[in-house]
Amino acid sequence: MLLVIGNKNYSSWSLRPWLALKVLGVPFDEKRIALRRPETKAEILRHSPAGRVPVLKDGDTVVWDSLAILEYLAEKYPQLWPGDRAERARARSMAAEMHSGFPALREHMSMNTRKRYAGKGRTPESMADVARIDEIWSQARGPFLFGSFTAADAMYAPVVLRFRTYEVKVRKTSYMEAMLALPAMREWIEAAEREPEAIPELDLHG
Amino acid sequence: MQIVIGNKNYSSWSMRPWVLAKEAGIPFEEVQLKFKEADGGLTVDGIERYGVAGKVPVLVIDGEPVWDSLAICETLAERFPEKQLWPADRSARQVARSICAEMHSGFQAMRSSMPMNIRSVYPGKGIENSRSDIDRVIAIWASCREKFGTGGAMLFGRFSVADAYFAPVVMRFRTYSVDLPKGAQAYCDAVSGLRSVREWMDGARKETEFVPTDEPYASRNR
Repeated sequence: MLLVIGNKNYSSWSLRPWLALKVLGVPFDEKRIALRRPETKAEILRHSPAGRVPVLKDGDTVVWDSLAILEYLAEKYPQLWPGDRAERARARSMAAEMHSGFPALREHMSMNTRKRYAGKGRTPESMADVARIDEIWSQARGPFLFGSFTAADAMYAPVVLRFRTYEVKVRKTSYMEAMLALPAMREWIEAAEREPEAIPELDLHG
Repeated sequence: MQIVIGNKNYSSWSMRPWVLAKEAGIPFEEVQLKFKEADGGLTVDGIERYGVAGKVPVLVIDGEPVWDSLAICETLAERFPEKQLWPADRSARQVARSICAEMHSGFQAMRSSMPMNIRSVYPGKGIENSRSDIDRVIAIWASCREKFGTGGAMLFGRFSVADAYFAPVVMRFRTYSVDLPKGAQAYCDAVSGLRSVREWMDGARKETEFVPTDEPYASRNR
């Protein structure tokens, strides 16, 4: 199994399936393609028909898009969704809401793992997104949304990194603490801090 | 089981699970809530009763709300396995999931400059801004039809979640009269001919509400 990802510092979409695979304990090969360079597009197209990361290759199966990859993994490893079907439906709703929504948060508080932008990126729209996420997290059963780690948590993992960067306060701090305590998250953060590439237009606040 | 939808003329997200369930013959009660005209169609009248993300569509199953079109489609596929809402072949199924997810989080230019508006015709509007999105849709359709399309006129041969997911795009291509290659046009015609899609379009044409944010090329007093 090969997972093709972008920069660990910036690529929130890449973190999701990467983290799910790590938490599952499934061995996989990782290929990192540095984003926004002259050769980036051609390199990604060699792996992904949609021209985007992340993409997962498993034998002759190619799956792209973070949520589709999580569903694919859940077919093989059903523990990636809650076992109860009503909870599973709710987990899918939360994951899908994250997948297509929160545009202001994406724009004003883009993921930048190694930076600290305390208090930045706050607009009425981004704070409305924050409030909705705070509401979702406040229902977490603990330590994760549905007890143990599921695909829904994988979808919200980059938001935890954003809130860390922008120092956003939430009611249920234990949710962020549990996420940041995962050995795989620590591994991702350390790798992001070591990455040599910087993308100035994504370093929103210097 | 209920499916809570918005305006049939405008709500592309609502159309997806509704068409999926209708075409597959899954019985459900339709609950229609309308976009509030007073605030430009940004909120949905009565959605707070379903107490979720404040958006349509919502599936109410076993008394529990399931929100977001993609989560609803996945949940229907899981609860009605006999309907084979995803392609049975593993490789085909992953491609179907990938293109639905791509549709779900992408195509922003097409969404904003070619909003779904079934009852109207605006030839050529918004196409220039959406060119790369349109080209990507055409490439997705061609690739699926070529690799998986045998045995039917749909993307994976027989009807699946993927067709429900791209049905609103077919509606947009009709409204804005997008010039398409032969294969893509044939696919649009096949989707437009589905009984569920025809029923949805009939419902849309009967609606009279006007939502300015979804009508960039018209004024209320046309």
